Amino acid sequence: MATFNRIKQVSDHLIPVAKPAPLTRVGVKDDDDIVIVSAVRTAITRARRGQFKDTPPEDLLAEVLKAILARTGVDPNLVDDVCVGTALAPLGGAMTARQACLYAGLPERSSAYTLNRQCSSGLQAVVSIADSIRSGRITIGIGAGMESMSKHYNMNFEPSEKLASHPAAADCLLPMGMTSENVAEQFGITREQQDRLAAESHARAARAQREGLFKDEIIPVTTTVLDKEGNPHTVEVTADEGIREGTTVESLGRLKPSFSKTGTTHAGNASQVSDGAAAVLLMKRKTAHLLKLPVQGKLVSSAVVGVPPRIMGIGPAYAIPKACELAGISVKDVDVFELNEAFASQATFCIQKLGLDPAKVNPKGGAIALGHPLGCTGSRLIATILPELKRQGKTIGAVTMCIGTGMGMCAIIERE
Amino acid sequence: MRTVRTTGYNGYSVKFSPFFEHVVACAGAANYGLVGNGRLSIANDTPTGLQLDKAYDTQDGTFDCSWNELNENQIASCGGDGSVKLWDLTIPHQPIRKWQEHRREVFSIEWNYTKKDTFLTSSWDFTIKLWHPGQPASLRTWAEHSQCVYSVSWCPRQPDAFLSASGDGTVKLWDVKQPRSVQSVSAHAHEVLSVDWSKYREHVFATGSADKSIKVWDARHTRHEVETLLGHQYAVRRVRFSPHHDAVLASASYDMTCRVWNIDAPMGQPQRELLDYHTEFVFGVDFNLYVPGQLATCAWDEQLAVVTVPGLVS
Repeated sequence: MATFNRIKQVSDHLIPVAKPAPLTRVGVKDDDDIVIVSAVRTAITRARRGQFKDTPPEDLLAEVLKAILARTGVDPNLVDDVCVGTALAPLGGAMTARQACLYAGLPERSSAYTLNRQCSSGLQAVVSIADSIRSGRITIGIGAGMESMSKHYNMNFEPSEKLASHPAAADCLLPMGMTSENVAEQFGITREQQDRLAAESHARAARAQREGLFKDEIIPVTTTVLDKEGNPHTVEVTADEGIREGTTVESLGRLKPSFSKTGTTHAGNASQVSDGAAAVLLMKRKTAHLLKLPVQGKLVSSAVVGVPPRIMGIGPAYAIPKACELAGISVKDVDVFELNEAFASQATFCIQKLGLDPAKVNPKGGAIALGHPLGCTGSRLIATILPELKRQGKTIGAVTMCIGTGMGMCAIIERE
Repeated sequence: MRTVRTTGYNGYSVKFSPFFEHVVACAGAANYGLVGNGRLSIANDTPTGLQLDKAYDTQDGTFDCSWNELNENQIASCGGDGSVKLWDLTIPHQPIRKWQEHRREVFSIEWNYTKKDTFLTSSWDFTIKLWHPGQPASLRTWAEHSQCVYSVSWCPRQPDAFLSASGDGTVKLWDVKQPRSVQSVSAHAHEVLSVDWSKYREHVFATGSADKSIKVWDARHTRHEVETLLGHQYAVRRVRFSPHHDAVLASASYDMTCRVWNIDAPMGQPQRELLDYHTEFVFGVDFNLYVPGQLATCAWDEQLAVVTVPGLVS
């Protein structure tokens, strides 16, 4: 046996193309790695009914920024830039995000900006900060996301008639629910399959909440909420509100479809409309070592892929393989997926298309139970996946979501 | 050039004595190291030619050797059966110490030439071990590589730092006091077969790979190599920096040649010398500490050679 192995070793040296050593960025530590020092989020509350219904999103952002500075003890003067993803905030949220940064204790000299890649804004913010760090423009940054769907869920605008003459461009204006119906119809995802995924999402989220699995990621927020009479009450918000324990396929089966009489998408198998904020502190590994800050994980790779707008929900099925390829791993190597459940239809499709093990996808439940505050979600999923990887003793995570107008985004994160 | 045949043993490694300018050791293995026994040969470079002086036989192939930096009569070797042995040139036949810890072939052994009291071995069992010649068991074991560890190299400036090169494509930087690597560099897309630290430039090291290339690195900026030296037609088995010239590097390759490089040369012309006298894979190359420009090489053609490269003598 030893002889055979030695012959093979020499032969591999002579014809190395026959067995290229795996070129992977996972499992390899480098000084220039972009690492996550901390990721935190607020509880996710129900829009217009929940405890953040009267709280501006920038207040939530200020709270997560304050908390991430306090938790890590990082000197605020060392934070160069903050990028905040938000899909709905008026004027792009640019003024309010800067306000939140200053209020949270960041110096005037630091900078802030917002971006909008819709449902992936919170992840794009993290990736954009990582790119700034990688390029050397900044040393330390925070990628964040904020959304108040209570206050800013306003779809009023006049689309261009000229662009709407282009079929795919016209599809960009479809209500998201219709894209869900399109996915279900085109790929034969049944109502029962969708309701089963939705019920499982609630069951997992309820169990995770009961077992305290969200306690590491959620920071308590004290805010004011108005009761029916308009009287203010001070509340401390520490838990996600959308989880309904005891939701079953049967109970979901009684709900009427929301977007089409013959459709399969309804309020119970679509993501909830929510409020929340999340933040992720990023820097190079060498900076973390220098400042003696703990490294929670490494941002290994990320990818955004476009798909047809009328079936935008299939995006993750294309973004996940690309991000894995860039990371030098196979999709099978991923231990935990945080796949945003915009709709049970598209989540079911993505799981089937990639042959994912359902046990690995959203082990603590997804957006159907927890909610989907659009611009916040990407950062929220990072805050959720790191403690879960740690709990399972696993290392490789994928954070992924579909994006309105037809895109998917995925980031590969390695817990350390 | 002076040569001597290591009859029956194909050369795997060659090391000049750090004490005597005329003494050179050669690690060899029968049947190309694929099966059978091994031999550690000690040769003397005399005015009348290169002569074999002593031989120490082993049950399995001997793949590398390294002189004890504190005792001119002692040399350690490692072999295909996972054993590590310490020999005394005043005592024939048997090693004065033997350690059996590695579970597979041990491909490199390097005595710490700054602290001088310990040495490292690296193995196909994916581990690196630290040893003290007076201790019955290894002092430390590092298991972080995911493939064969072909080569280790001590840092000339920081006595506790060393590098390792592996079939997993990485080079890792270590501190003997740390349980995990300090840094990991994705050095080549293929197996990394050799690594050596520059004797003069604090952060510079070189790697040789199955991808036929040699890369020169700066440990402070490891995202990209500083330079790639191309020319070998097959895998580069060993790289070795000169102890006399800070820009000079020698390499040994499966393409049956040794080459000498100047890493400061203008782009496209780094190769200074091509030594093509061997007729089989060349695995060993070393610089003589006492004679600038003098190299020893060994190959699977059973030839041990000592050669002077004219351009390096000045």
